[in-house]
Amino acid sequence: MSVLDEIIAGVKEDLAERKIPRSEIEAAAYGAAPVIDCLPIMRAQEMAVIAEVKRSSPSKGVLASIADPAALAEQYQEAGASAISVLTERRRFSGSLADLDAVRKRVTLPILRKDFMVDEYQFFEARAHGADLVLLIVAGLSDSQLHEFAALTNELGMRALVEVHTHQELERALEIKPELVGINSRNLKTLEVDPKAFAELLPELPAELIRVAESGISQRSDVEFAQKYGANAILVGEALVKAGDPNLAMRDLLGQRWAYSMLDSKLVIDGLGHFGPYGGRFVPEALIGALEELEAAHSSALEDPIFQAELAELHRTYSGRPSIITEAKRFAEHAGGARIILKREDLNHTGSHKINNVLGQALLTKRMGKSRIIAETGAGQHGVASATAAALMGLECVVYMGEEDTKRQSLNVARMKLLGAQVVPVTSGSRTLKDAINEAMRDWVTNVENTHYLLGTVAGPHPFPTMVRDFHKIIGEEARAQVIELTGKLPDAVLACVGGGSNAIGIFHDFIKDTDVRLIGLEAGGDGVETGRHAATISGGTRGVLHGTRSYVLQDENGQTIESHSISAGLDYPGVGPEHAYLHDIGRAEYRAITDAQAMAAFALLCKTEGIIPAIETAHALAGALQVGNELGPDATLLINLSGRGDKDVQTAADYFGIPL
Amino acid sequence: MSTNTALDQLFVKTRAENRAALIAYIPAGFPSQAGCHKVIETLAKAGVDAIEIGYPYSDPVMDGPTIQAAATQALENGTGVTEVFAALKHATDQGVAAVVMTYWNPIEKYGVAKFAQAIADNGGSGVITPDLTIEESDEWRTAVDTSSINPIYVVAPSTKPERLVKVTDQCGGFIYAASLMGVTGTRSGISSGAGELVARLRKVSNKPISVGLGVSNREQAKEVAAFADGVIVGSAFIKAIQDAPDEASGLAAVSHLATELAKGVREAR
Repeated sequence: MSVLDEIIAGVKEDLAERKIPRSEIEAAAYGAAPVIDCLPIMRAQEMAVIAEVKRSSPSKGVLASIADPAALAEQYQEAGASAISVLTERRRFSGSLADLDAVRKRVTLPILRKDFMVDEYQFFEARAHGADLVLLIVAGLSDSQLHEFAALTNELGMRALVEVHTHQELERALEIKPELVGINSRNLKTLEVDPKAFAELLPELPAELIRVAESGISQRSDVEFAQKYGANAILVGEALVKAGDPNLAMRDLLGQRWAYSMLDSKLVIDGLGHFGPYGGRFVPEALIGALEELEAAHSSALEDPIFQAELAELHRTYSGRPSIITEAKRFAEHAGGARIILKREDLNHTGSHKINNVLGQALLTKRMGKSRIIAETGAGQHGVASATAAALMGLECVVYMGEEDTKRQSLNVARMKLLGAQVVPVTSGSRTLKDAINEAMRDWVTNVENTHYLLGTVAGPHPFPTMVRDFHKIIGEEARAQVIELTGKLPDAVLACVGGGSNAIGIFHDFIKDTDVRLIGLEAGGDGVETGRHAATISGGTRGVLHGTRSYVLQDENGQTIESHSISAGLDYPGVGPEHAYLHDIGRAEYRAITDAQAMAAFALLCKTEGIIPAIETAHALAGALQVGNELGPDATLLINLSGRGDKDVQTAADYFGIPL
Repeated sequence: MSTNTALDQLFVKTRAENRAALIAYIPAGFPSQAGCHKVIETLAKAGVDAIEIGYPYSDPVMDGPTIQAAATQALENGTGVTEVFAALKHATDQGVAAVVMTYWNPIEKYGVAKFAQAIADNGGSGVITPDLTIEESDEWRTAVDTSSINPIYVVAPSTKPERLVKVTDQCGGFIYAASLMGVTGTRSGISSGAGELVARLRKVSNKPISVGLGVSNREQAKEVAAFADGVIVGSAFIKAIQDAPDEASGLAAVSHLATELAKGVREAR
C-alpha cells in the first residue's frame, strides 16, 4: 500500500464519520457565498502564490503549530498571495474544516480546500465551507472519477487545481481540459521530491493554463528554477509556516523583499541596512561598535516621545519649520506652463535642508554621551549646519573640507569659524568632498570613543543612509500635505538635485508609496556625462563600494574612484546614497544629468522671475523642472525641493556670469 | 575550509621554532614597479617571513599619511591589478609566504571569484581585507574556499567578545589584530591594547595572531613578538624608502630595518 493509498483510506474513514445527509450538504453548498474566481487574480501576477496553511506533512511531520490559522492567512493576503490553501486532512496534515471556516471569515482571497478528494460529498462540503478551489490529485483518481469530479467542481462554480507528477498523469489530466495544473515535484507514492519533474513537465503545459509548481519550493532559486521551465504560480507551505516572518519569507521567494520593505517604510531594511544589493557596511572592524551604538541610539530615539518632542521643538523654534511652499508662476511660464511648486528648504536656519539632519544627529550625539562631532563638507552647507548644531548644544566641532572647496567656498569657511568650529583643509587625494570624508573617517577610527561622525548625506555605512533619511523625510511629509492643500491632489512629479542625495530622499520618501507620482533626481552633469567630467553617479557610474556602502560609484577598471566634476561643490561627489541606487534599479525613481550650463541658466532664471537666489546645487533641480515641465505641459504639477539658498554661491555665480565684484 | 597555504605552513614552522613571524607590508608599484620588486627581494633576503602586497587604492580610509602618500605614488606609477599580481608572484618566487592586502572595492570590481583564483594562481596564500565586514563576506567566503586561500580579517581593540568569535571563525592563515584604534603609521610606543586584544583572542581561537599598526623598530617588534604569532610592519619600511635620497640607500635602509626586526622577533621568548 503506497502512502497515498493509506492517506485516502484514512480520509474515507473520517468522511464516513462526519457525513450529514446529502440533501443538507447540497443545500449548504448552493446557499454559500458566491465563489471568488482565482483565475483573473492569478493571471494578473507574473508569479502567483498559493500560500498554504499547513501544520504538518507526511514527509516532514510537524511543521508549525499555527494556533491561529486565520491570522496566518491574513498575513499571506497582506504579503500579496493570490490564493490561500487550507489543508483540511486531519490524520497526516493536522488540518480541519474548522481551519477552513476560520480562514474564510478573515480573508477575501480565493481559498483552495486542500484535501484528498475521493467522494462527491467532499465537493459539496468544500463549497459549503466557502472554498473556491479544490484539488484533484490525478494519481489517486480513476479516469471516470476525474471526469465526474471535474464536472461537479464546475457545476458548483469552483475551479479545480489538477495535480500531476508524471507524464502519464499529465496526459490524463489534460483530458479533462483543466484551467489550473499543478506539477507536484513530490511523488505521492514514495514522498520523494524530484525537481526534475518541473523541468520535464512544466514545458508540456499549454500556455493558457495556470501552471503551478508544487513541493520543494524553499528558496528564491527554487522559484527561479520553476519559472525558467514555465511555472507562473507556486504553491508554498512549509517555507512560509516555518519562517519567523511569513510575509518576508514570501517576498524573499518572489525576489521582492526589498521592494516590500521600502514601501513599508521600515527603518532598517534587513537589519544590515541593505537596499537590494546596495548599502550595507564596508568599514574597518574598529568602527563596528560605534555604528552599532549609533544604530541602537537612533532606533530608541525614534520611539522615544521625549526625543521626538525635543527635535520637533527645535524644528519649530530654531530651524523655522514647517518650511513654506511657494508657487513659482513666472518661472513656470518657462516650464511649459506646468504648475511649479517650490518647497522652501532654503528658508530654514543656515539656509538649506541640512539643518534637519544635523539637529537630529547632534541630539543623538548627546544621547550617546559623546562630546565631539566631526563632519565633512563640500559646499560648506553641511559644515555650517554642523557647526551651528554644535554651538547650540555645546559640542566640540571639527569640519573636514577639501582644500579646493575651502577656496571655492571661503565664505562658508568663515561662517564655520565664527560658529566656533575648527575647519581642517584636506590636502590628500583630489582635495574635495570625497577626501574630506576619508579624513573624517580616519579621525573617527582614532577618536571614536568620544566622537560622533555627523555624516551629512544618505551615504556611508549603515545606519547612516536610513538615519539621515529619517531626519530629512519631514520635508516630503510637509510638502505632500501642503501640495494637496493647495492643489487638491498629489503632484505629477517630485524633483530634487542629487549629490549624495539627502534632500532628494527627504522629499521623495513620503511619495514612494504614491506610485503615480514620478520621482526625478537631477544629478550634476558637469561638462556633460559624455565628457567624463561630471558627478552624475547614477547616470554615468557603475556598481561599487565607496565610503562604507555599496552603490553606484564613478570608478575606473581597477576600482579606483574617479574624480567628479561639477560647478556645484555640494554635488561634486563620485558616490550616491544606496537608496537612490535601489530606487533607480527598481524603476521607482528616475535620474537625469543636468550640465553646469543648464543649471546656471536655471539659476539665473529663478533669480529674475521669482526673486529667489537658489543654491547652485538646487539650480540642477530647477533645470530639471524646466525639462519635465515642457515634457508634461500645462496640466502638470511639479513639486521641486528648493533645497538651499544661493548666498554662498554669489562669488561663483558672479564669476560665471562675468559680474565684477 | 581547511587550507595548506605557504602562510599556514609558515606558522606551523615558527610555532615549532617558538618565535613570531615577521611580516612586511609594501604597496605594489611603490616606489616604482621595478623598485617594488627590488624591495621585495631585499625584504626576503633580510629575513622577513611573509610579505603583504598592498593594492594601492584611491580612498584608503584605514591608512595614515605615510601609506596614503605611497599609494598615491603607486597609482601615479600606473599600478593596477596586473601590477599587484606581478608583485605577489615576485614575492612568492623569493620563497616567502605572500598575501595581498586590499580594500574591498578593487576585488568586487575585478570579480570576486576571479580575484581569489588569481591570488592562488600567483602563488599567494591569501588576502587581507580591512574593510570587508563578515556580514558582507558571503560571496568572498565561497571564493576563498573554492580557491583554497586564506581570508584574513582585521579585528580591533573595540571588537566586542561575541563578535570576536564570529570574525575569528572566518579567519584563515592568521587573525590580523589591529594594535590600536586608529590608522596605519609608526608610533612611538606599542599600545597596551595590543596585548589585551591578543589575550582576548587567545581565549576564543587557536589560530595564529599577527599584530599590526604602529610597530616600527626592533624593540617594538620584540615586545609584540613576546605575545603574538606574527609582527606586521608597514609604514616604517615605506618611511625608510621615502626618507632615502636615492634607491640604493633606500634599499639599504629597508635591509637594515628588516634585519633588525628579524632579530627582534627572535629574541622575544
